[in-house]
Amino acid sequence: MKISKNWLSNYLELNKTNEEIEQALTLIGFEVEGIDEWGLPDLPEVVVGEVLRREPHPDADRLSVCSVLVKDGEEPSTIVCGADNYKVGDRVPVALPGAVLPGGFKIKAAKLRGVMSQGMMCSGREIGYGTDGKGLLILSERPAVGTPINQVFPDPDVIFDVEVTPNRPDCLSYVGIARELAAYFRLDFNYPDVENFPEPSGDYNPDTLLKGITLDAEEDCPHYTAWRIAGVKVEPSPSWLVQNLRSIGLRPINNVVDITNFVLHELGQPLHAFDAAKIEGRRLIIRHAADGEKIFTLDGKQRTLRRDMTVIADAKKALVVAGVMGSEDAEVDEKTIDIVLESAYFRPSQVRSTARRLGLSTDSSYRFERGVDPRGIGFAAERAIGLILQYAGGELLPPRLEVGAPFHLKREIELTRPFLDQRAGYPIPNREVEEIFTALELNFSARVHREGTAYWNVEIPSFRGDLDSPIDLVEEIVRMYGTDRIPAGEVRGIGLTREDDAVARANRRFGQILVGQSYQECLTYTLRSGEELKKWYRAGGAEALGVMNPLSVEQSHLRWSLIPGLLETLRLNAFRKTGMSRVFETGHTYYERDGAVVEANSVSFVHFLSDQERAWRKLEAPDFFSAKSLIRQLASSIQIDLEQYPINDIRLTNSAWQDGHSAMIGDLVDYGFEARFGLINLALAKTYDLEGVLVAGVLSATTRFLERDCRPPVYQPINHFPAAERDLAVVVPQQRQAGEVAATLQEFGREESGHSLQMESVKLFDCYEGKGLPEGHKSLAFTFSFRAEDRTLTDDEVNEVFRKIQFRVTQTKDLTIRG
Amino acid sequence: MEADLQSILEKARAGAPEVSSRPDLETFKASLVGPNGELTKVMKGMKDVSKEDKPRIGKLLNQTKNELEDIFSRLNKVIESNEMAARLGPPVDPSLPVPGFHAGGFHPLTQVREKIISIFQKVGFTIAEGPEVETEYFCFDALNTPSDHPARDAQDTYYFPGKTRFTETTQQKRERYLLRTHTSSVQIRTMMKNEPPIRIISPGRCFRRDTADATHSANFHQVEGLYVDRNVSVKDLKALLDYFIKSLLGPSAQTRFRPHFFPYTEPSFEVDFSASHLGKVGSRWIEIAGCGMVHPSVFESVGYDPEEWSGLAFGMGIERIAMILYGVDDIRYFYQNDHRFLQQFHQ
Repeated sequence: MKISKNWLSNYLELNKTNEEIEQALTLIGFEVEGIDEWGLPDLPEVVVGEVLRREPHPDADRLSVCSVLVKDGEEPSTIVCGADNYKVGDRVPVALPGAVLPGGFKIKAAKLRGVMSQGMMCSGREIGYGTDGKGLLILSERPAVGTPINQVFPDPDVIFDVEVTPNRPDCLSYVGIARELAAYFRLDFNYPDVENFPEPSGDYNPDTLLKGITLDAEEDCPHYTAWRIAGVKVEPSPSWLVQNLRSIGLRPINNVVDITNFVLHELGQPLHAFDAAKIEGRRLIIRHAADGEKIFTLDGKQRTLRRDMTVIADAKKALVVAGVMGSEDAEVDEKTIDIVLESAYFRPSQVRSTARRLGLSTDSSYRFERGVDPRGIGFAAERAIGLILQYAGGELLPPRLEVGAPFHLKREIELTRPFLDQRAGYPIPNREVEEIFTALELNFSARVHREGTAYWNVEIPSFRGDLDSPIDLVEEIVRMYGTDRIPAGEVRGIGLTREDDAVARANRRFGQILVGQSYQECLTYTLRSGEELKKWYRAGGAEALGVMNPLSVEQSHLRWSLIPGLLETLRLNAFRKTGMSRVFETGHTYYERDGAVVEANSVSFVHFLSDQERAWRKLEAPDFFSAKSLIRQLASSIQIDLEQYPINDIRLTNSAWQDGHSAMIGDLVDYGFEARFGLINLALAKTYDLEGVLVAGVLSATTRFLERDCRPPVYQPINHFPAAERDLAVVVPQQRQAGEVAATLQEFGREESGHSLQMESVKLFDCYEGKGLPEGHKSLAFTFSFRAEDRTLTDDEVNEVFRKIQFRVTQTKDLTIRG
Repeated sequence: MEADLQSILEKARAGAPEVSSRPDLETFKASLVGPNGELTKVMKGMKDVSKEDKPRIGKLLNQTKNELEDIFSRLNKVIESNEMAARLGPPVDPSLPVPGFHAGGFHPLTQVREKIISIFQKVGFTIAEGPEVETEYFCFDALNTPSDHPARDAQDTYYFPGKTRFTETTQQKRERYLLRTHTSSVQIRTMMKNEPPIRIISPGRCFRRDTADATHSANFHQVEGLYVDRNVSVKDLKALLDYFIKSLLGPSAQTRFRPHFFPYTEPSFEVDFSASHLGKVGSRWIEIAGCGMVHPSVFESVGYDPEEWSGLAFGMGIERIAMILYGVDDIRYFYQNDHRFLQQFHQ
């Protein structure tokens, strides 16, 4: 909101510098977003002059000697001038001898290169008007010669652009801001005067202006008053009013309209003036609009209304969108003689939704939607009527017409001294508290409860709808006492009583592992396009992830994976040749399952080995197993041993991965976690302009899973006896998974080793296909490891067990021992 | 005989430098101490030595033997070390780059987040997390935000269609799902689950329905904190944020509290800092955080007695702080992930 310092001075003696005012406003909660200083300083010896003659200076090429008329009927002055943007006949500001220009520059009659100069013709900058100092300021509107320059330009003023928070509609007005500043500076503050109106002459019958008001939308308009004024003369506003309105960027229209606007800004109560002659049927009807009802608002646009909007109408049509804007149909113009002045209270949420639906925010709607003073209606109307009678003439025809009633309930709040001390945490003397109450028009009485607690009983004025509990009063006191007076203190620190949440701990570990593996962390957007989702994910899952109100098609769906964002990152970096090849992200992802969406905590990494990559020595290319290794590490950091779970194909659920080079473990819904890893589908990678191998992994878990109780490790005693090892190669059909074969052998080993010795492990160390094997078969070689708790094993006892295991193998379908 | 021993030793010393491999060494040894070696021959002659000379010659013989053993062992060591070196290949040029080297690192927003968190952890705050898909209740209602508050409008907040269900986000009634606009919702969830005292900090991703530009991003990150206990005061709030700002920006940084308005705190403040030692910042006041004392109606909605408990809450944007700390002028750089940008923050 723009606040003119001149205008503000009507309500308090503000002998403060701009900096002091800015600081005060800021510290009491009205952030100053800008200060605009304009107008001229007081320049009594600077007048309008006209150049009559211009001749070259006899001794200086760059100077001219001019004859300048500075007062009608007097001899022109001779002035030497160095500018050349003017011509004979131009009118310009002339500083006469004795003038003091901004910056303390004194003008005297003096010789310039031998020619006497009786003053100076000025540029804009020299008189403090703008920053243009290149040439003279040509006064193109040709004010009369001799006019003091201060009369040509408006009074100097300072405009503060102030942010008013939504809880303080009372400060969307000069009076409100003045009250606050007066309270902070402890100055006197004056409301504008409203005098009694003269008795009506009896020449007019008020009913010929307006007979009555019908209220058909009581809920949206609790209180409505209308005042009838006959015989006004609509004409341009007086200059003080024009200047006030212009100073805050408003366009003057005519005296009546300008006065309503002035009062809106002065008191914060929007008013509306109707041309009485344009009200058909002499009756105002406050009703809901009809669906599709049209109105031409004053901004020249046709608006289509809806049933949930309120209008002020006459017998035939809507005249005003209540609280928002009037129509051309009841506008006050130069032909207007009789007016009806509206001063009302509209329900804030109603005005807000109407203004929003119409895309029309006005000074009026802005105040109504935040809530005007329910008891301020009458005062604002009287203030406006006083000004109208003074500047537009006419007479007020009582009585005022009124429907509804002010709904404000009288409120009192009890604030105890201990509560104030406890919530503030530092002492504020009673005297200061009471001064603040008084300055803010909070009537109070200081009392003591029977048990001895001192308190204030505070009456809340109708314009402070934001105050309704003791803590609100604490805020008022802290604010006006000054936040700069809150004393410095020690931080009350206590030991940690709680662990960081599991999600935070997991993400931290993921990051440490991946950064340790030379991965760069990236952050990509959560919202992604539906197209991409369909391309990557099952088409059916796409719908459930859409937001209701996307801003664009590129950002319309929740991300189901971190990988597309990482691929885009790699594409950008590849294009810009930054050399980044390993990236990861941790963040939330969303999976659709049976129509419901599971929010998961995910970590994803991608390693891109470009076909273009060159190194002075060939490196081993990363492959499926690089991904598997990293995903195992990540999983183990959240206490999952992936080897304990079956490993599956991804193919069925997702087309983003390369067939035969990818796998998944777990399931987000059944297990609470899942891991996918391997190579990204090469064709898909190509659509990101990434030619090469993309090794990637995703580990996702629900928050509940991460928060699960993990069993602490159980200690197993160890002994100092060595293990005995035996190797065995088994030939199996090519499609058999090594993991399955290992599990089978493990089982044989366990069953055959009995109690006196244990088979510790079966580890695969070779995998061979090709020559020497039957068609469609492969050979898997394992090391069996045996150990006893109480002795070093002998060859004989190990061989016996190993023979039994071999026998079991020979008895098993699809397994043969390689000779 | 003495002369023979002397010449064997001289011969051995002269021949040693020629020995460069293990077979050489074996041949060399055989020529001296093998069955037909020269020393062996001399030893065989011992039986012919006179009784009185025997002790002297015997001693001399032993000395010679020992000296030869020394020579062999020296040669053996040299050969062994040559053999090991041969396994490793020629020496490397240590200045060659590591093939395929890639420096990993954390994203600058993660680093700033961790910096903020660690400051608060020192005074007893721990991290609380929550879902990014929230409901109107946790994001607005429980935070004393009226149902027609502009922040709740579909102009500014992303909502989900009525039929979408989220399994990980509990609803209070059947209110709408949305993308959280702040992490204050985590405070509500934490208070509903735990009894006071509470001292948590909740970092996380938030969403506002804004068109992206240099200062607006489709998603952004916040850190919010909450401290609930008996007798928490405005003075505690000021002390905590003074401590935070001095920890983040240096001991000469100044703090200013501007009264402000948030529905969920009362009183509410915006916090400005000035830090003339930060070149890019200068001595201007710059907004860095919002804060206040928890509004009594927030306590009521989570079932705390506002008479018994009081609390303070604060929140700040991680991007904003990163931009201030590093002088980054466009928020979009944080999401573009250009490596030249990211690696400037490697520490």
